[in-house]
Amino acid sequence: MLLCDFHIHTTYSDGSVKLRKTIDLFGQAGFDVIAITDHVVNGDNSYGKLARKFKFSLREDTFGTYMAHVREEAMRAWDRYGMLVIPGVEITKTALTSGKSAHFLLIGIEEFIPANWSYEKIFLEAKKQDTLIIACHPHHTSEMTFVDTLFLWNNRDKYSRYIDAWEIANRDDVFNVISLKKYPYIAGSDFHRIRHLYSWKSLLNCKKDIESIKQCIRSNWGVAITLFRN
Amino acid sequence: MDLFWVFGSVAIFGMIVYMVQVLAVHSALRSPRKPAPESVPSNFPPISILKPLKGLEDNLFDNLESFCLQDYPEYEIICCLQDENDPAYKVAKKVKEKFPDKPISIVVERCNRGLNPKVNNLFSAYRYSNHATFLISDSNVKVDTHYLGRIAPSLDNPEVGLVCNLIRGVGGRTLGSIFENLHLNSFILGNICLLDRYFNLPCVIGKSMLMRKKDFEAIGGLGSVKDVLAEDHFIGEKIRERKQRVVISNYLVNNVNEYWGLQKFINRHVRWGKMRWKIGGIRYVSELAINPVFISILSVFLYGLTWETLSLFIIACAVKMSGDFYLGRRIGAPLHPLSYLLSPIKDLLIGLIWFVPFMDDTVIWRGNRYRIGKDSVLSPCRVKGIWAWRYRMADAIRGRLA
Repeated sequence: MLLCDFHIHTTYSDGSVKLRKTIDLFGQAGFDVIAITDHVVNGDNSYGKLARKFKFSLREDTFGTYMAHVREEAMRAWDRYGMLVIPGVEITKTALTSGKSAHFLLIGIEEFIPANWSYEKIFLEAKKQDTLIIACHPHHTSEMTFVDTLFLWNNRDKYSRYIDAWEIANRDDVFNVISLKKYPYIAGSDFHRIRHLYSWKSLLNCKKDIESIKQCIRSNWGVAITLFRN
Repeated sequence: MDLFWVFGSVAIFGMIVYMVQVLAVHSALRSPRKPAPESVPSNFPPISILKPLKGLEDNLFDNLESFCLQDYPEYEIICCLQDENDPAYKVAKKVKEKFPDKPISIVVERCNRGLNPKVNNLFSAYRYSNHATFLISDSNVKVDTHYLGRIAPSLDNPEVGLVCNLIRGVGGRTLGSIFENLHLNSFILGNICLLDRYFNLPCVIGKSMLMRKKDFEAIGGLGSVKDVLAEDHFIGEKIRERKQRVVISNYLVNNVNEYWGLQKFINRHVRWGKMRWKIGGIRYVSELAINPVFISILSVFLYGLTWETLSLFIIACAVKMSGDFYLGRRIGAPLHPLSYLLSPIKDLLIGLIWFVPFMDDTVIWRGNRYRIGKDSVLSPCRVKGIWAWRYRMADAIRGRLA
């Protein structure tokens, strides 16, 4: 089984650990596959504008540098730890109310996708790039300082056909609604700080290459979750 | 004001002892206690490296990998764990996959023969080891390629029963780990060198212990230390009782502490303090006297902020910071120069921790609570009975803080 974490932030957005150190941290801990998914925040409201101003978001002009750095580190991680690193982003559509906020991961992204596009447009572009679309923390979380992101869940009938998997567990929270609906699932740490290493993770029973991983998650065959504790 | 001079004298005494410690480290690192690099291959006995693993130590992959890259003719590595679900198991497996040509074994075997979890872990590894010479090495130790080649020839002398090493704290990205590395590189290193050089009392640190099996079995083997908290100290004492020498090699091994929280630092030094109190008895009191920063701040609290008390405190801080900085440079510790500004704060914390052993004789080690007896012999601590409420309360407070 491959030990995986598909939801990791670095200092390219609001994470506190630099990319290289993040790779080393996960490599030293024996992970097989990780995805680096820094935020791309919508710039069409004041929250998004602030996030972009304070560099808590990737932008079109920084995306190239980010991707090049992730790819360079991916090569190092493969040589050093035998760990597969997949580039990704977290599309962050945040509004003042939780019902209008949504976060989702695009794993295996190639070209920049702005977060202020419509949901359909983003999903179609992501499909064109053959990325995995994962809905993040789709229900109420225990995080008090965080606006819940319920939009995708509230509109699941409309959008679930685009979504390859839903986070059934995020850091310390478990969303039982995902299992009740029998949606494809994975778990991720939403890593921002070192202590977030110890959190829910995914276990995949497939080969260690990006195509097999995409196939495994989409079919949701051979997927398990585990609470990674020291 | 007379009592101030008592504090002042103790603080000055502490500073002098500290400077002697610095000299001891300097002299230990200069001494030619190293074998000639061109030693003939017969000086290099085959070695079994026993690696007790539990949990993810900082930099675990690199630490294990450094043992696979040894420039040494024949050795094997045996990683031992109690549980296949331990995250260290996966890391050990990855290292084994990365070095398929190296004789690396991973032994997973649950063992409850004693109360010391590290010794429990070692029973299976010791049984599986093939060579007559073995090395116990902690999982947070990282070495360079010459490590085995540098320490093994010390066992050429049949009078030598145990070879251990000086340690250097490296890493340090969090406050807890910076404190830990500062403490290892000053107090621990200084005291080891002081006792070894000037009092001929080698103090064994279990990070790296090289022995012959026949000597180890003559002192009772692992069975004799299964219920002892300070198994390293106990092994050293037993070896000396057999009229064999304990050699502290001046080859520095890296003790990697990168992401320690402050809580972990406090827990470790509370545990070590209790251990030293139970082993050293009244000698433990001297540890406070050689903490000049703490002694000098006591005088500030007792006599208020006067010119004298403040001067004493500033001088103690300056001596300690500059001494720690020198030691750090001397041993090549990769700590940021500004980290040494935290040295007095660390010493104040260590001064407070010093009092804990007088109030409580239990330790929590790797999730288990034990009572420490004389010479650090452990006994199970029952969380039942009339006084059990204090453990439950302490656990509850710790839980809330976490």
